[in-house]
Amino acid sequence: MSDQLVFWGLAGFITLSSVAVVTVRNPVTAAVALVINLFLLAGVYAFQGADFVAAIQIIVYTGAIVVLFLFVIMILNLDPEHLRSPRPRIWEHLVLGVVIAGFAYIGYRFLDSLDVGKVASNRLPDNTYDVAMILFSNYLWPFEIVSILILLAIVGSVAIAKKPK
Amino acid sequence: MPIEYYFSLALVMFLCGVCGVLFRRNILFVLMSIELMLNAVNLVFVSGSTFLKNLDGQIMVFFVITVAACEAAVGLAMVIALFRRYGTIKSEFFRILRG
Amino acid sequence: MGLTSSELPFIVDLIATLSKIVVVFLIGLNVPPIMLWVERRVPALMQRRRGPNRVGFFKWRLWGLFQAVADAIKLIFKEEAVPAMANKWFFHLGPVFSVFPAFLVLSAMPFGEYIEVMGYQISLVAVQVNVGFLFILAMAGMAIYGVALSGWASTSKYTLLGALRASAQMISYEIPLGLSLIPIALVYNSLDLTEIVKGQSHFWQWGIFLSPLSFIIFLVCMFAETNRTPFDLAEAESELVVGFHTEYGSTKFAAFFLGEYVSMFALSLLCSILFFGGWHLPLLSRENLINLTGSVNLAALVGVGVLFLKAAFFMFLYVWVRWTVPRFRYDQLMKLGWKFLLPLGLANIAVTAGILALNF
Repeated sequence: MSDQLVFWGLAGFITLSSVAVVTVRNPVTAAVALVINLFLLAGVYAFQGADFVAAIQIIVYTGAIVVLFLFVIMILNLDPEHLRSPRPRIWEHLVLGVVIAGFAYIGYRFLDSLDVGKVASNRLPDNTYDVAMILFSNYLWPFEIVSILILLAIVGSVAIAKKPK
Repeated sequence: MPIEYYFSLALVMFLCGVCGVLFRRNILFVLMSIELMLNAVNLVFVSGSTFLKNLDGQIMVFFVITVAACEAAVGLAMVIALFRRYGTIKSEFFRILRG
Repeated sequence: MGLTSSELPFIVDLIATLSKIVVVFLIGLNVPPIMLWVERRVPALMQRRRGPNRVGFFKWRLWGLFQAVADAIKLIFKEEAVPAMANKWFFHLGPVFSVFPAFLVLSAMPFGEYIEVMGYQISLVAVQVNVGFLFILAMAGMAIYGVALSGWASTSKYTLLGALRASAQMISYEIPLGLSLIPIALVYNSLDLTEIVKGQSHFWQWGIFLSPLSFIIFLVCMFAETNRTPFDLAEAESELVVGFHTEYGSTKFAAFFLGEYVSMFALSLLCSILFFGGWHLPLLSRENLINLTGSVNLAALVGVGVLFLKAAFFMFLYVWVRWTVPRFRYDQLMKLGWKFLLPLGLANIAVTAGILALNF
């Protein structure tokens, strides 16, 4: 019973904040809606027993990436009036609603017919240890490549965003 | 919680992201919608991993989050450079590739 | 499936968790008034003056403790002015983002091993998270939004600059904070805070002896994360017109300070848990303590008292450093964080991992 409550509560607010990211006109509001979305999504991950992924999601996504978005909005000192998208026409709202509802329904019916059963009901014990064991043995090569990728991204973004002399 | 509920939630998030990329006229919002899509995919990976009792899904999430961070950093640097060059970030001004 | 992984029956677990949440909340709420008093009396005594000792109640002065009450009453009754062009939602929401991560961090801290009530073993953590201090790092990341949003929402150039500087500082020092905690996880083989304290039951196993460099890095980052001197460029009274909370009046100003003091307390608790043995007394092991007092509950109470004493020392250290050390300039601050503490943290991890790998 409490599982249902937690899941539907989280799912409801995630849906609301996703729609908010897409429809609001003020970019800071959209960024905060994205923060709420990602935070609740980390809650869903923790609910399924993936503690480590949930913590990484909050630390990296909400704690760094969206803060980067906020910094860009503030540093560019964009006037909210300038940034505000033109008021979406009513047909855009309707299309958005119909598309989401339609695909969600179709998706649910399709997936329902697949008879995949319940999500595992026991939490994976000591998630961090298991993830680390696999990450550093089977996936060591992608791990090193991704760290080089991060280095390239850092150097690249600094090079692109530097003020031209 | 049957897994199709999680997949439906991920589908809804992904569709919001797609509609955001299509309908928003401002590059910052487009980047935010792309992050939304990536998170929907992450949700599918984590749910699949919990259902199949296999941790490969969570490893994939780890890499997707990392690559999304790199992409957001480079994308935002480009937004700053564009703003400095053109004075605006409304997507209707960037039509050079438009034939 | 459920979120709780304990063996207690559901109703006992529910009551225990709710009461622990209430207790933690009350502890968190009671720290700022005491800190307000400490913040004024201690520097006064250090500077050979008296400090506020006039506020009294029927000639009962109590060394100025009532000053905190008077401060609180004054703050509540002040007029609250909202700037006309401010974004109403974020203006009111900013302090919330500053306060709630601090309380969440406090709720994940273990105050003891367990107490026994009516035959049930109730652990003394309000919220049991398996990923221990990753959760705390995550909440430190959330605290940045309070600063950034409130500075931006006031639509004033000074507050925006102050907010940008403060949030850039907090992000920069979050990385060495995390890096300094990794050797602790390596040495004690666990991310869970309760396990780490259990591994410190003897005096020589304390974190500060097993990993002194990470203690130093953690101490510096602790000061930078809570925007305290010597890193308080963004909120100092003489710089940038108080910085990101210039436009905030009575209760919201109080909310910012509540958030700051509670996060100071939470980080002091974390420091004593990770590096100074948590609730263990130096020479008295827990079994001896239980035998001495004859009850597990009393031993737990003594442990909580010891933990609070250690955290109180770090709070005193916060105040002491504030009135002793001059302020860093902003570029010196960033240079310290990125060019010195970050490589030091990485080297620390490498050396610790190397030593551990060679020993086993």
